[in-house]
Amino acid sequence: MATLTEAVRSTPAGSARKRATRTRNDSSRAPATYYWMVWPAVIAFAAFHTLPVVVGIFFSFTNYAGYGAWNFVGLSNYLNLFRDDRVLQAYGFSFLFAIVATILTNAFSLAIALGLNAKIKARNFWRGVYFVPYILAILVIGYVFQFFFSNSLPKILSGIPLFRDNILTSETWAWTAIVALAVWQACAFAIIIYLSGLQTIPAELYEASSLDGASPWRQFRSITFPLIGAFFTINVVLSLKGFLQVFDPIVALTNGGPGTSTESVTLLIFRGGFSGGEFAYQTANAVIFFIVITVVSLFQFRVLQRREADF
Amino acid sequence: MRTTHRRWIRPLAVAAIAATAAAAGGCAQEPADGVTTLNFFQFKGEALEDFNEIIADFEAENPDIRVVQNQVADADTAIRTLLVKDRVPDVITLNANGNFGRLAQAGVFYDFSDEPVLDTINPAVQEILADLGTYGDEVNGLGYVNNANGIIYNQDIFDEQGLEVPETWDELIAVCDALMDAGIQPFYGTLADSWTAIPSWNALGAYPAQDGFFDKMREQGADVGPESEVSFEKDFAETMDRQYQLYSYMQEGYRGKTYDDGNAAFARGESAMLLQGIWATNPIKQVNPDIRMGIFPYPTDEPGESLLVSGVDVVFTLGKDNPKHDAAMRFIDYVFQPDVIERFAESQNMVPSVEGADLSDDPALQSVRPFFEDQRITGFIDHQIPPAVPLIPTDQQFLFDGDAEKALQTLDSEWAKVAARTIPVTGE
Repeated sequence: MATLTEAVRSTPAGSARKRATRTRNDSSRAPATYYWMVWPAVIAFAAFHTLPVVVGIFFSFTNYAGYGAWNFVGLSNYLNLFRDDRVLQAYGFSFLFAIVATILTNAFSLAIALGLNAKIKARNFWRGVYFVPYILAILVIGYVFQFFFSNSLPKILSGIPLFRDNILTSETWAWTAIVALAVWQACAFAIIIYLSGLQTIPAELYEASSLDGASPWRQFRSITFPLIGAFFTINVVLSLKGFLQVFDPIVALTNGGPGTSTESVTLLIFRGGFSGGEFAYQTANAVIFFIVITVVSLFQFRVLQRREADF
Repeated sequence: MRTTHRRWIRPLAVAAIAATAAAAGGCAQEPADGVTTLNFFQFKGEALEDFNEIIADFEAENPDIRVVQNQVADADTAIRTLLVKDRVPDVITLNANGNFGRLAQAGVFYDFSDEPVLDTINPAVQEILADLGTYGDEVNGLGYVNNANGIIYNQDIFDEQGLEVPETWDELIAVCDALMDAGIQPFYGTLADSWTAIPSWNALGAYPAQDGFFDKMREQGADVGPESEVSFEKDFAETMDRQYQLYSYMQEGYRGKTYDDGNAAFARGESAMLLQGIWATNPIKQVNPDIRMGIFPYPTDEPGESLLVSGVDVVFTLGKDNPKHDAAMRFIDYVFQPDVIERFAESQNMVPSVEGADLSDDPALQSVRPFFEDQRITGFIDHQIPPAVPLIPTDQQFLFDGDAEKALQTLDSEWAKVAARTIPVTGE
């Protein structure tokens, strides 16, 4: 091996380079066109995403207020985060909200997708209807829902004290209204993914199982669900990640209130960092949150992928 | 006051900064014809036309000075950015909020102590500015026009019911009870916009905050708590009780109504009073131009001891060490002339700071006039509280659940936490 390397080195540099180029071109490398497709995106991503993240991490070790002079403060921003009950409360809210909303979104959209995949009348019309929430801007919907919760519902359900007094002003239950809005909107996209998953299942499997006398429930449990396992994984991971970063529905419905009871981590970062003037402190919070979401997503992939079936 | 609560303006800041930067760069060089160009940083959108008129008159009288008005959307962010880049505008107007105080403390503004124009300004107004923060004992800004935060009342309803403007807290409660007995809604609550809870909190909290409360709070810093000499828990219990008491006279469903709902309802005579300041009178008049309104301050126990909470809505200031200082000072002397400030204040529905300047005939303004003349005014206390303390949500929640002790504990602990994690910048 050593002699071979030496032999290659000892040959004139020009010819070696030439030969190497030719080999790469012939066998492993794609044509240059593909690189031109990739490079602009990579550069844009690095400039507008990676670089700001790195700069943000840098400033999380300072006392920068967003303007003016600053000093390095070491890890004190991070240490103070763990002593701040408002931050801990925001994490508690975000996780509670994300878990409940993920479960509901996936349960509802799987059920609706099964219905939309069956031979129902005006199937394409219904598929269109269920996709509409995805097209609408969340803030617009949010203000419609806000009017609904604070003006319509109190009149419609005036017999129930919780709704009569505007559920958005209830410290204990306001989060459920946000879940309702978020799930309603998130279902649209989850349904699409489940529908595409359901269409990958060969019809023969159902034929065979019905000949064997399997009940519809048994078919769902033993054929449908295992075979759309990959789509289930993607949906759960994406929903949980998305719901952990919940922002717009809260701004539209409660703006974090009453008090700070529906303040998510992202809302806290935005408020404390921009209006509160604690830029560096909340950047440290954002770094922690980034790590938390990454760990949660990787953990989910590991657990869920083990359960997927292949065929 | 309202400008600090607008949430959707922030994204416009980028555009504003770009515009200001371009304008500042454009007129940086001194022209050859002897005309000095002043770059005038102006934060108030509603005042754009009024300032254009003032500038036109000024330029006619002073042909050697040209003033370029830059009206910026999110002034607090824009001015910081300009200051960081050392591109200080020649003449600056700002809303005198907590942010203005922090900038003044940084020592970036001119010291007006020896300027003759200072002697024409109501000392109580300058006191409010000084409380926000100054560099040493300098005078870093000149109050121009002021708002008034009190209780707006419908004079027709008060006349019909034979009610007098209350001068003590007990009289105010008696007025509320009398209105209830007559089947009239005393107040119209608008808690769906959480900031609308703060004007009344500011006014009621102004009394316990009088004797240097916030100076002591800042001294204690991270030690604020149940054991400290002063704290919200110790000194603000009565404020909370009284605010809660006022909210017991609100209409059904006040939690779901917005600021605009409240103004419209008050304009239509659906309530006799509104817990808002003078800034609400313009939107109210848009709904009902014929309404007769007055404003009275939130009373305290003794008659004649009421303090009117007032904020300096427009403050004029200059950068330190500006080569165009003399021209800028001539412009400031001009805008502070009584007839100029009178016209501006009347158009903006504000109280002018210059002593002897007349207020407009607006009954709401006339009703607060004595408080300015007798200097019985005080500042907004929320300007003294760091913005990282969640004051608005905490007060809104308190008005929902009535747990004053919990709300005050939250304010104390947030104050202590913010003080503990605020690490001052040392050196450059």
